[in-house]
Amino acid sequence: MKGFKTLFWLESRRSGVWALALCASLALWAWGIYQARGIPVGDRTEVRTILLVMAAIIGAGVLALMVGRLRGESRGGQVQVLLLTPPSGFTHIAARLSFALAVALVYYVVWGALASWIVALDGQAYGVGFGVRGVLGLTLGLPAYVLAVAVLPLLAWTLLLATFTSAYRVAGPNLIPGTVVVLGSVIAARWLVDGVVRVAYSLPSWPLFVGPASQTSVTIIETPDGQGQITTAAQGILYLPQEPVWIGLALATALCAVASRLWREVEA
Amino acid sequence: MQPFLIGLRVLLGLLFAFWGFRLWQGTASWTARGIGVFFSAVVLWQIAIGTS
Repeated sequence: MKGFKTLFWLESRRSGVWALALCASLALWAWGIYQARGIPVGDRTEVRTILLVMAAIIGAGVLALMVGRLRGESRGGQVQVLLLTPPSGFTHIAARLSFALAVALVYYVVWGALASWIVALDGQAYGVGFGVRGVLGLTLGLPAYVLAVAVLPLLAWTLLLATFTSAYRVAGPNLIPGTVVVLGSVIAARWLVDGVVRVAYSLPSWPLFVGPASQTSVTIIETPDGQGQITTAAQGILYLPQEPVWIGLALATALCAVASRLWREVEA
Repeated sequence: MQPFLIGLRVLLGLLFAFWGFRLWQGTASWTARGIGVFFSAVVLWQIAIGTS
């Protein structure tokens, strides 16, 4: 536990500026969302949604860059500090991932607050209200879902990529390990997404209140077995499938387990 | 067009097979070897059998 705390502190020292810059960038996105007020009502929501999606994607990218900076470490001589510390590979990976997750949690909760702000702003334009349930759903529910489904597996994969490429550091700088893993992961991700889509909505879905009822159109899709129909959105409620969450958590756990083993073999 | 694509696939297949071999040889870590071979095999599978 002491080792974890030390490594977490080291991680905060090393990536603190990144974390602050990332969280501060949300002010820029908020400014952009506010500036969209001059756009006609119909297009305004679309522009603001695009800005929000961009904020989510860029935020995940910056977090992945932050968590995967092993090369920079080795140049700065910090790997030597880590080599002298007794904690296991799992502790190293856990500390790194925990710090990135803590930053991600702050970032995506504020991001969720921006989402609820957009619905509140545009809801006013349409003359409809937006309650506490909606704010909670968008500020806490949606970020938690995004974190579990996309951000956590991405961070775990980046850690695996970083430790894997560092296994070939002795052989000199080359692009082969990174290229093979990135290309292979893109192909494997396609198979994974196909599989997730196939099993989605097999279990009961989770309702997420996203906005005024009058603004959400009804969306109906077929069940995975093709025998029935599922309502994925209606009356201001988005029905999220729970399978991607479990698959995302299992994938992240497996990737972290492999990355810890790699760390032990490579860095220890 | 078809012979060109077959030739391209064969060349890419050889390249990734060689890279897989390099990844096997370039480290003493068995986990890294396993990961390298796994992802090389995924890319090779896509090159040889993948449709799109």
